[in-house]
Amino acid sequence: MDSRPVELEAYLNNVGICESRWPTTGAFNIWSNTFPAEELPPRGSRVDVGGVTFRFPAAGPGGEDNLRCRGQSVEVPSGAYDWIYLLAAAERRTEDALALRYSDSTQRRQWLRVSDFWPETAARFGELEAFRCARMLYPRHSQPNMAPVIWRCRVPVAIPGSIEAIRFPDNPAIHVFALTLVREAVDA
Amino acid sequence: MRVLLPGIRPWRHDLTHCLHTTFGVLVGFYGLDPLHVLGAGWGFGYRLDDVRREEYYFPCLDGSLLAGLAPHHGLDSHWHEPEDAAHGWEQVRACVAAGQPVAVAADNFHLPFRPAFSDVHTNHLLAVYGFDDEEGTVYVADPVPPRFDGPITVDALTNARDSNNPITHERDMFFTANPIANRWLTVELTGPQPTFDRDFVRRVLLSNLDGFARGKVEGPTMRGVAGLREFLTACLPRIADEPQRIDEVFIVAGVTLAITGLHADFLADSGRRLGLPALVELGREVDRVAHHWTALRIGVANSRSAPIDDLPALLRRGRNLVADQERVLDRMAQTAAQL
Repeated sequence: MDSRPVELEAYLNNVGICESRWPTTGAFNIWSNTFPAEELPPRGSRVDVGGVTFRFPAAGPGGEDNLRCRGQSVEVPSGAYDWIYLLAAAERRTEDALALRYSDSTQRRQWLRVSDFWPETAARFGELEAFRCARMLYPRHSQPNMAPVIWRCRVPVAIPGSIEAIRFPDNPAIHVFALTLVREAVDA
Repeated sequence: MRVLLPGIRPWRHDLTHCLHTTFGVLVGFYGLDPLHVLGAGWGFGYRLDDVRREEYYFPCLDGSLLAGLAPHHGLDSHWHEPEDAAHGWEQVRACVAAGQPVAVAADNFHLPFRPAFSDVHTNHLLAVYGFDDEEGTVYVADPVPPRFDGPITVDALTNARDSNNPITHERDMFFTANPIANRWLTVELTGPQPTFDRDFVRRVLLSNLDGFARGKVEGPTMRGVAGLREFLTACLPRIADEPQRIDEVFIVAGVTLAITGLHADFLADSGRRLGLPALVELGREVDRVAHHWTALRIGVANSRSAPIDDLPALLRRGRNLVADQERVLDRMAQTAAQL
């Protein structure tokens, strides 16, 4: 399996990960909850999640570390892929369409489904639990018995072809931390 | 005196909040299945400006809170409004001592097990099912994460129930500025509960469909699909000029998300239990509508800084939601006809 991580730094627009220093300044959700940086891979590092290599986001200029889906179109290295893998989490579970742009300008939609990051909530869509933190950050304290999750989601490229861009849905409940395109070893 | 009522089990559905978790605990006490009691009903009804600043808000257009939540079961609920904190505890204690668990409104700011403790004010709901006079404790069940089931001091609960629930900083949003006032609630079984079978599910589907089809817009009251469309096309745009509408849409979206998600799982569970895959598939379609509500709710919550800029996307979401809702109802009618 060939994993090709995609740099998302140019598209990051939300701070969802913070150091445990008070007050925190991020706001993954409207209550300003954040994931503790100490329990996640270093920013900009490569990390293996269930056999797929991801590039954990380096911080943007304002500390941004994830892409909140607002209809952004992300250019990707042109190629024929079988799967789109994401590290993502949602504010309550949701689903929406990714639009894949092929090299012939055709657009095809595929469903992206993301479970809730909220503690004590199981994966709704069979995602792999990529990271479960032992605590959640609030602006003024760390809550030890609240364990938020980042999920490993996957989206099939159902129709083979060369993909050049992925447009995310306008669904601000979905946050994407990392994106990797995967080609399986055996050609279809 | 020490009382600890048996049969208290935490219950939670991932798209719900303290309204449903608390009623799930209470109806579970009576041996009822919370998913089937709270998930059978599906509809839309809202009267403009009715929203209250409480996490457990539900638009009660036709009766009590529980009668609205569980329209296909013989259930009712009653709010009690004691004159002060002392009477508030006296009444709750007497009811629990008589063998009946109750729900109490409480400000999380004063509840030591809530993440908001000493930080954020909010108007929350939880179940009370026991007390120990000698220890000065009360047993509460709150399945909202971080799930808590156990004793706290009567003093802590009293402070939470008697709180003015003030706005003190920027994170005191949506559910503040509404004094808790020691309110508490009892649940009542008003008759025999329906037998779960294929005919019950058929009647549920037909009744819900009828509500969606017959509902209309009458002055400020919006019901059914027509009311849903009115809410999302006529009320939603008002967030641009009336900032308080953001809170209103957020809260209504939250409770509609919850009942839609519950109904999806009611259908799926019914389909599995009855061996009817069509119901499971229908549940999946209802889930898709719920997922629109997730997006709309978070979208409107984040629109506060620039509502005019965000409005086009919110309106698009609303149109897609209504379109999917109508598709689901069409399929629901086909499914009901085959039961």
